[in-house]
Amino acid sequence: MTPELYLSLLTFHGTLMVFFVLTVAPVSAFGNLVVPGQIGAKEMAFPRLNAASFWLTALALVVLFLSFFATGGGPISGWTAYPPLSVVGSIAGPGEGFGQTLWFISVEIFCFASLLGAINTIVTILDLRAPGMSLMRMPLTVWNWFVTAILSLLAFSVLLAAGVLIMADKTAGTTFFIPAGLLVADEKIAGGGGSPLLWQHLFWFFGHPEVYIAILPGMGIVSHLIATFSRKPLFGYRAMVWATCAIAFLGLMVWGHHMFISGLSPYSAIAFSLITMSIAVPSAIKTFNWIATAWGGDLRLTTAMLFCLGFVSIFVTGGLSGIFLAQPSLDAYFHDTYFVVAHFHLIMGIAALFGIFAATFYWFPLMFGRLMNERWGKVHFYLTFAGAYALFLPMHFAGFAGNPRRYSDFTTFDFLASIMPLHRWLTGVAFFLAAVQTIFLWNLFHSAWKGEKAPPNPWASTSLEWSTTDAAVVRGPYEFDSTPDATLLMQNEPVRERY
Amino acid sequence: MPSAVTQSNLGGPPPILPDLPSGGGGGDERNRPDPGASRNTAVTGIIVLMCASTMTFAALVSAMVIRRGLNNDWGHIGLPRILYWNTAALIASSVAIDTARRMLRRGRRAAFNWLWSLGTLLGTAFLAGQIAAWMELDQRGFYLRGRPSSAFFYVLTWAHAAHVVGALGAVLYVEYRALRFELGPSRRTMVDVSALFWHFLDVLWLGIMALFAFWA
Repeated sequence: MTPELYLSLLTFHGTLMVFFVLTVAPVSAFGNLVVPGQIGAKEMAFPRLNAASFWLTALALVVLFLSFFATGGGPISGWTAYPPLSVVGSIAGPGEGFGQTLWFISVEIFCFASLLGAINTIVTILDLRAPGMSLMRMPLTVWNWFVTAILSLLAFSVLLAAGVLIMADKTAGTTFFIPAGLLVADEKIAGGGGSPLLWQHLFWFFGHPEVYIAILPGMGIVSHLIATFSRKPLFGYRAMVWATCAIAFLGLMVWGHHMFISGLSPYSAIAFSLITMSIAVPSAIKTFNWIATAWGGDLRLTTAMLFCLGFVSIFVTGGLSGIFLAQPSLDAYFHDTYFVVAHFHLIMGIAALFGIFAATFYWFPLMFGRLMNERWGKVHFYLTFAGAYALFLPMHFAGFAGNPRRYSDFTTFDFLASIMPLHRWLTGVAFFLAAVQTIFLWNLFHSAWKGEKAPPNPWASTSLEWSTTDAAVVRGPYEFDSTPDATLLMQNEPVRERY
Repeated sequence: MPSAVTQSNLGGPPPILPDLPSGGGGGDERNRPDPGASRNTAVTGIIVLMCASTMTFAALVSAMVIRRGLNNDWGHIGLPRILYWNTAALIASSVAIDTARRMLRRGRRAAFNWLWSLGTLLGTAFLAGQIAAWMELDQRGFYLRGRPSSAFFYVLTWAHAAHVVGALGAVLYVEYRALRFELGPSRRTMVDVSALFWHFLDVLWLGIMALFAFWA
């Protein structure tokens, strides 16, 4: 494999996963499926806008695929597309010409699609809630989608602006992000005077909230499902709501921690570092509340619940390495190593995917009227959980050893010779982990046609998407009745007679 | 014998249907949201859209502020005089459109039609004036690829103009419905929403003008 092809695949992997999986699946797909049902609305506020958002996303995906067949090869700038190399054309690499231009176009279209989706979600939740569904009676899933939509609105509109500027650099000869006197491949680039750092600021103002856009819906799903499958009221509902808002608010102010080694002033670095570490507080509130909810509960270890518990585990593990990276001095060493790869794959990739898996198992009956196979679901969960840890925990050690990321070949470095066995292990586990996902795919398609027929409310859930009546909402989503055999009640179920 | 006096042979406006809910997707009457829902969602939707646009322009302006401080190659552009006329036209169009909106609320549909048409004309004049301003700058040697000041001027004014084109589409659609006398006090959501967005673009433009007239 040539280095160019490796970088091209890396760019494709990052772009596809961050934008088209971790943003689309938890936010657009499950959000659209469940939000109207859970707030008691019949539809999203603007169905046509929704369709436009869907087709624009599809168009963005097509353009992204096309970029890999462009003259000169696919883009090689990674999902962050740092200028100046991403804007000076094919002189910077074979894929930096037309392929990179198409990549920018794809992301710009995706921005439009996400903005339309975010507007729709915000308006639906603000204006179309059923009678009795006050904000503080909304399931935590809805709260998290709501906050995610606000983050999407603020973040993607900035990426849109950054994209306009970089497209002008790329195609119209401006130099917003091209510095003066730039030499690329021994050739002086004309003009200049701009700043590549400016792109990094704008990009990460989007890029860091994007992490929360990917993970907040998962947090909502986990909160909702842990309460449902523990048959207990959620511990600290209000605290969970405010923790969600706090994570989003702080998440908008920490973009600089991606730029510690980009020449950021040490004073700014300290500010960004402190704010970054303070995100641990609302995150810990959430984690403690999840554990407290499950503690002493009547646990029902369905596959969906297992993925939620797996989420909590992975979220804590992936989050802890974030505290290392939040230190500018440690980040100077770790930043371009596999430590970062391990960190964000756990916290953003695997954790968010666990949220998606849990949601798929949980809402499958809502989509197909059938249940997914629990036995194969559990096999898939345990193998994926073990595989994720077997892959990403040892990967941290490659980072400790100073193994750089984004390199196509490590065999030429003497100092990395001793960790080659580790790399062989990581590659083997990665293939194993990928193979295990076929169980999920088989389960998904098989159950859609041949799965066991689902009863009306298969998980004894309390939120309205499972309700069959139009009765007004009379309680929050995680409340007991007052009978001795206390159980969680549907939000619109009339008050039961006292025993 | 003279025929009965009816709405049609008077040539007057036909009766108006109130705004119908759009959120329900039709079909099931039982689950339809209340008629106010579509009006609420339209207004909330446009406010949320304005938040997104504000963020986009804030990002562009912050990039401009940082870029100006980076080097001393900024190079001020002298604003074409026509931009001040454009500004006046845009403010006047906002006033006309808002007065029209108030007229419609009181049921004065003919006055609404005249004023809204005036607002539409002034808005179109603004856009034509912007094109004239770009041509003048082009003749004076200020291009997109050139000094950072002119690059940012073009990006910001083009971004604003793109918004104006979209808004003008909405305003023209209202105009089309208005001239067919299809709007009235109980059917004016699209009027209110278009007017709100038009005012937003007005304020946005004043900000951009102030930035280039006094700072950049």
